[in-house]
Amino acid sequence: MQIREYIIRRVMILPLILVGTSLIVFTLGRVGGNPIAIYLEHEMTPDEVAQIEERYGLNDSLPEQYFAWAGGVLRGDLGYSGVLAAPVMDVLPKRLAATLELSVASAIVAVSLGIALGTFAGARRNRLPDHLTRVFAISGAATPIFWFAIVLLIIFWVNLGWFPVGRSEPEIFESISHPTGVYTLDALLAGSFTAFRDAIWHLILPAVTLGYGATAIITRMMRSSLAEELNEDYVDAARAKGLPERLVLRRHARRNALIPTVTVIGLGFGFLLQGSVVVEIIFIWPGMGRWMADAVLRGDQATIMAYVLFTSILFLVVNLVVDVVYAYLDRRVVLGS
Amino acid sequence: MRTRTNRFSRFHLLLIVAVVLSLVAAACSSDDSTETSAPSATTAPSSDTTAPSTDTTAPSTDTTAPPDDDVNNPGVYVHAADDDPLSLDPAGVAAGEAGETIILQTYDRLVEIGPGGPDLIPGLSTAVPTVENGGISADGLTYTFPIREGVTFHDGSTLTADVVKFSWDRALEMDLPEGNSSILADLVDSTSVDGNNFVVTLKDRNAAFLNSVVTAAVASIVSQEGVEANGGVVAGQPNEFFSSDVIGSGPYTLGAWNRGENIQLDVFDDYWGEPAKLDVRIEQVPDDDVRTLGLRAGDFDSIETDPTFVTDIEGAEGVTIFAEGWLLEPVHIGLNLDIREDLLPDGDTVPADFFHDPRVRRAFNYAFNYDNFVEGGLSGQGGVVPHYLPQGMLAYDDSLPRFETDLAEAERLFTEAGWWDDGFEMTVLVEEGGIFEVAGLVLKDSLESLNPNFRINVAAVVEVQFDDAHAAVPFEYATWIKNADPFADPAALFAAYIHPDGEWGDVHKFRNGYQDADGIAALIEEAAVSVDTDRRVEIYQELTQLLFDDPMWVIPGNEKALMAHRSWVQNFTMNPLWPRPSLKFALFDK
Repeated sequence: MQIREYIIRRVMILPLILVGTSLIVFTLGRVGGNPIAIYLEHEMTPDEVAQIEERYGLNDSLPEQYFAWAGGVLRGDLGYSGVLAAPVMDVLPKRLAATLELSVASAIVAVSLGIALGTFAGARRNRLPDHLTRVFAISGAATPIFWFAIVLLIIFWVNLGWFPVGRSEPEIFESISHPTGVYTLDALLAGSFTAFRDAIWHLILPAVTLGYGATAIITRMMRSSLAEELNEDYVDAARAKGLPERLVLRRHARRNALIPTVTVIGLGFGFLLQGSVVVEIIFIWPGMGRWMADAVLRGDQATIMAYVLFTSILFLVVNLVVDVVYAYLDRRVVLGS
Repeated sequence: MRTRTNRFSRFHLLLIVAVVLSLVAAACSSDDSTETSAPSATTAPSSDTTAPSTDTTAPSTDTTAPPDDDVNNPGVYVHAADDDPLSLDPAGVAAGEAGETIILQTYDRLVEIGPGGPDLIPGLSTAVPTVENGGISADGLTYTFPIREGVTFHDGSTLTADVVKFSWDRALEMDLPEGNSSILADLVDSTSVDGNNFVVTLKDRNAAFLNSVVTAAVASIVSQEGVEANGGVVAGQPNEFFSSDVIGSGPYTLGAWNRGENIQLDVFDDYWGEPAKLDVRIEQVPDDDVRTLGLRAGDFDSIETDPTFVTDIEGAEGVTIFAEGWLLEPVHIGLNLDIREDLLPDGDTVPADFFHDPRVRRAFNYAFNYDNFVEGGLSGQGGVVPHYLPQGMLAYDDSLPRFETDLAEAERLFTEAGWWDDGFEMTVLVEEGGIFEVAGLVLKDSLESLNPNFRINVAAVVEVQFDDAHAAVPFEYATWIKNADPFADPAALFAAYIHPDGEWGDVHKFRNGYQDADGIAALIEEAAVSVDTDRRVEIYQELTQLLFDDPMWVIPGNEKALMAHRSWVQNFTMNPLWPRPSLKFALFDK
């Protein structure tokens, strides 16, 4: 099946998957706690609780509530976020942009470092560089993110004062417009080097923290794949033809070793999104993860439902992209078969 | 080619080793120096032991640690908070909610609680009404507030007595269930305007009206023009504009509210009183560790402080811990006199009438290890509370009776009540983390070490689960732990926590256990309406003795008012009677 046909087919079944997802999300939202828990106080009388229930349509039957919610979703109304005291759709783009910016920055750290180190180690199997890389990689996988984050903060924020926390210096952030919500991109669009530097400066610590764990996984996968590929006959053939070792590695072995690694990278993006909850809390990063954690702790069901629905969609899209990239890298893969 | 590859590997190997070594060196070298370089603020608290009112004129910081030469964020006061508001509308904010502190800084009220304690100072009223100055009628029902002239709101409109009336009437008309308008509705019979005076007539005399109602967030004065231009007043419906924006007359305007990130307050140049010196940024920092690190880094000027992490910041360079006065919100262990056995958690064996017997309630009070809680849970930053008046409140006296750990007396009471040999098992509901969970564990340790037949299960749950269970009627646990709401006057405290038909008296059915419920109710009601302070003191002290013999709560202790701040902050003070974090930023400089 051609890639284009495959994409069309996947996109066409997306609505069915989304309806199923929305039903699950709505059901979980209703059984997972009181939908108005965030607004309730002990001192409230039953009449006052009833007023709030009426305001949020909770007096209707469950099917009516579902269709009202789903209708709102279709109209782009995901409800009202209690924890942020604003409509979800007013907040979500900014929060999403912040999380994606962090996740992409972390992915850049993880992919560039992971592939480089994996290649470095794979080409030097069972030698000292390989062992050191293994130590680095296993440490990354084993180190709890929250602990690593705090260590980095103690060193680079408190003691050295090199890097700040948060997403920006408020004065600099407010000095430019934010058409995309992605601070680095907006700074470039505004032509403000000061803002761009501010954005990068604030990104480094959380991106390194979040990227470190993913680096470890990518490094190990890349190293193993490359080691296998270097034992393949086609590599010997390339060497026999007199191809320089550098070209054997880059043009032949590494390209093939990337195929399983890309799958891991796709899954790793999910890891980055999940890990961003902890990193966003510790680095005071105003993204989706921190918002969600706050919503869960305070019982803000509208936010939880919006988040779960949204990330479900995101994962569907990312999975689709990974499949397509996979097929592009390995022409032997037949999509949809 | 292989040679190039090897060069590449050596270079990167060296680079990695260099980076790792520098990280290790930095980690090992720095932190210890800050721990030892400055005297401990809590071991040498001489500056902060002065009264809060003194702190407003003489910086509390200068003698505990030398001010740093470099001030971070000049011109802006940065406070790290742990909670974001749900609403900024005085009519829509719940008592104790994070929006209250923004309302405190950006709106004015007719009278204000001063920085030095419970004393009232004029606000938008030029005088604090008293019987002597004619502001309170002889029958104690009518209050007259002369309205200050020359006050402008943030939108440029002018304050008048009519605007004050509009503002109070607005809160009453909106009557939002999540708001606090009921404290007005319960007391106020009518409001009127007489020239430039705002006149309030009460339904009944109330001793706490000025301290607890007129100073509350719901009584803040909003711009009438601002309301009418932004949605007006709709009964039962929140005002979207005022939920997220501010048009008050306070020393700060709302600069920006980046939800879940920070709130920026700008100095209001046309403020009628002493203008604020610094803009303010309130950062939302939910993690305790990050708040303490930010304070040490100097990026935060003050942080929401909890006794559980005071030891993390004691002695840090450039940091002062303000520990003066007391919070008026002692930790409470609730004893449920309305136990529904079918609703209790699995394993609980206590019967419905378990706490009806005052000997059992007294035995719990004698069994509790107060020293462990104060020294452990509160890190020594607190004390034991008399049963039932907290330190700093009207009628408090050091000689009032208070429970002390007395295991022999606890054993005697449990034996007399018939529980010593049979034992019991029950669950105490607490919010996870922090001092409440510690109090639960101390209760468990106290009772289980007293008698192996006693078993206490501490159900530590997240905030939303606790709030849900805490609001449930009937209550589904035999016991629970939380702090009391802070009240400026004992009338409100006793009404909510002691009155047999009050907020908790009704939920826990105190009438099932009080030896003289009607007598206690009568005393509380008399003290609530009396304008004779001496008589009120007499009543509350009498009640305290009665409640020592017939307690409805175990009071593990009370926290000191505690706030860690950078030593460069001048004029630092806090008042527990102001909404959390109990700060008025307009007083500060750095």
